[in-house]
Amino acid sequence: MSVLSVRNLRVRYSAKGPEILKGIDFDVESDDFLAMIGPSGAGKSTLIRCVNRLVEPTDGQITLLGQDVRTLSARELRGLRRNVGMIFQEFNLINRMSVMDNVLSGRLGYTGNIRSLFRHFPKEDVHRALDYLDRVGLSDHVNKRADELSGGQRQRVGIARALMQQPKLLLLDEPTSALDPKISREVMALIMSIAKELGVPALCNIHDVQLAKEFCNRIIGLQDGYKKFDGDTKTLRDSDLEDIYAMEVL
Amino acid sequence: MSEQTSLSPQKPLRTWSRYSFPESLWSFGTLLAVLVFLTYSLYFLNIDVLMMLGALGKLVGVVADRFYPPDLAYITDPGYLASILDTLQMSFLGGIAGVFLAIPLAWFSAWNVTPNRRLFFPLGRFGVISCRAIHETIWTILFVSVLGFGMLAGVSALTMFCIGFAGKLFSDEIEAIDMGPVDAMRAAGANPFQVFLYAVVPQVRVAFTGIAIYTWDVAFRAATVVGFFGGGGMGWYLKRNVQQLENLRVGAIILSIIAMVLIAEFISGWLRSAVNRAK
Amino acid sequence: MAVSDTHIASLSVQTELRRKRQFKMLLFWGVFLAFAAWCVQGTIIEDTDWSRIGGRSGVWASIGRYIQIDWGLLPELLVPTIETFMMASVGTVLGCFFSLPVAWLGAANVTPSKTILYPVGRFLMVLSRSVHEIVWALIFVSAVGLGALPGILAIAMRSVGFISKITAEAIENIDAKPVEAIRATGGNEFQVMYYGILPQIYPVVLATVIFEWDINIRRSAVMGLVGAGGLGLLFFRQMNSFNYGGVTMVILAILLLIVLGEVISHYLRKAVI
Repeated sequence: MSVLSVRNLRVRYSAKGPEILKGIDFDVESDDFLAMIGPSGAGKSTLIRCVNRLVEPTDGQITLLGQDVRTLSARELRGLRRNVGMIFQEFNLINRMSVMDNVLSGRLGYTGNIRSLFRHFPKEDVHRALDYLDRVGLSDHVNKRADELSGGQRQRVGIARALMQQPKLLLLDEPTSALDPKISREVMALIMSIAKELGVPALCNIHDVQLAKEFCNRIIGLQDGYKKFDGDTKTLRDSDLEDIYAMEVL
Repeated sequence: MSEQTSLSPQKPLRTWSRYSFPESLWSFGTLLAVLVFLTYSLYFLNIDVLMMLGALGKLVGVVADRFYPPDLAYITDPGYLASILDTLQMSFLGGIAGVFLAIPLAWFSAWNVTPNRRLFFPLGRFGVISCRAIHETIWTILFVSVLGFGMLAGVSALTMFCIGFAGKLFSDEIEAIDMGPVDAMRAAGANPFQVFLYAVVPQVRVAFTGIAIYTWDVAFRAATVVGFFGGGGMGWYLKRNVQQLENLRVGAIILSIIAMVLIAEFISGWLRSAVNRAK
Repeated sequence: MAVSDTHIASLSVQTELRRKRQFKMLLFWGVFLAFAAWCVQGTIIEDTDWSRIGGRSGVWASIGRYIQIDWGLLPELLVPTIETFMMASVGTVLGCFFSLPVAWLGAANVTPSKTILYPVGRFLMVLSRSVHEIVWALIFVSAVGLGALPGILAIAMRSVGFISKITAEAIENIDAKPVEAIRATGGNEFQVMYYGILPQIYPVVLATVIFEWDINIRRSAVMGLVGAGGLGLLFFRQMNSFNYGGVTMVILAILLLIVLGEVISHYLRKAVI
């Protein structure tokens, strides 16, 4: 059974507004590192946010880890979200908090209100956070404030925060668009190796086709809310790319 | 690699503390001192904490009980309506006088263009600060004791209040100006007064107009109570009815005060946006 | 020929415009001065009993009574000064607590209900600010009796409007991205607010609270005038017993307290920012 399956997904932000996603179907298997490419405005960001319902779909079905995402109550939804790690384009860190607190905030879904109030996380969480910070190469920056770090370092904090959730699926929303090419590659390599180690599938929005080809085993091409391509990276031809990016050329 | 990312039993649990020693002492000490001070204050002032927290619920009960229904007939009485007009007149005069007196004081107390840093600067600062420090009601009582009951005392008190209020905002505004024109005027041999007229006034004119209008709005709010201490206007009616325990009338007066303040606030907001548009 | 014609025409249009503007300004100042004159007539000329003031010498005599400072009042000043300071501090903290829910209701992007609770929050902000602290004190004296408690409550209520207004504005201006991130980790509404919103707004809120505390010391000093303890009560007593030198002493104490408050708030604000 696939980890995530999406059927006939449709999204409209307002009743009269344009349809952003016009019936998308795809599956994510447990060993996938799946890239979603397409021109800006194709609906990549919206699609990825539908998976953990940061955006409410208008129609269709999403099954994640055996649960029907669209019918969950608020409490069940929070339970589901903590199983899904998310990494963002602009890192979305809490700038005024330290690196450690940012990483620990990944555990909020597992933490009660009183503990959250005093920022008193269990010892195991702190230990795990230190491990992950080692893993992403930030062990020297534990007590720095998040806004003191460079872009690449901030994204590493974002990765550590996502890992803290012990996710069963990673959602990556353009994780490298705000970084320069060299750092982008490093960050992608880091995410991929961690995903492999932990055996977690990932769904990744990405603008840079080269990076997608280099790191991902499967590619989905979106254009204007439609799926234009879905297949193994090796089967992606230049003509497919031209098809996907046709709008942008115009 | 995998033992690095998953919890490994053979490695001892590493700990981490949010606070390192000297800073932690400092921040916890401050927090503790504030808490101790607040707790001691409650004890010193003899406050029943439960009563304090329950007072809001009680407030609704008291208002519904004593001040409701407000005696609306009372506030349509011509005498009372005239007092609203008096309040308006007082706030207007106090506002004008205060703003005009505040301008030279603000000039003196602006560090960058003050005519003399050793004499005028402290003089201006002291003038503005003492006008601000003393509450408008105390000014009213003082002026009433010198000038007798009536609107003259009220206007004088509001003037002092407006000097303090506008003076602070004016001098902040002056201190934020672009110093280029000031230097140019000084280089041309202008004296401090000429510098003020030619380099400062053109830069702050619009802002000052906005502040002056805002000052009137705040002065009107203050004017609603100066009468309570003998300064004339609506406050006088408030005091009389409070003393006679005419609670329904008090309720009506408070309602009318709120209504008038809202109207004044609306007018001032409208005027200020008009000034900004004409800029 | 044609060129100079249009030139002259445009010049005359300009003078016309300038005249119109001058006329407008003249009209404005005319109305302004007439209104001011009416105010002077109403307040200073009609409403003042000049004979009772007793001319210039009378005024100087009245002022002179204040200059003979009553230093003997010094020991009596200590406790009310401390009380005033404490009333202002406790009132500000309490006002801060009341402000948080009001700001939550009145911030358009986090309010639980846009149609009902948002206007309620906005209304509470306006209500708090449009009622003068003396009036608040009168209401609370009537509700809970004499003493420091009504003073604290009045100060708290008067502070709510400003603090919650600034806080609501800060909440409306936050960066939504960290909020989304906390929501994506599975945090509940409390955690989203505590981790996503609070760290972004607390410097603004703290600076505002310090500013308000500074103002509240002034307010606290007059609460006694309507029966709520502190320096105001002492002021009232000195005034009623015609001990004008004592009145001056109380005013000096108020000035001292306010300078102290200004110094403390200056350093606090520096520490926060």
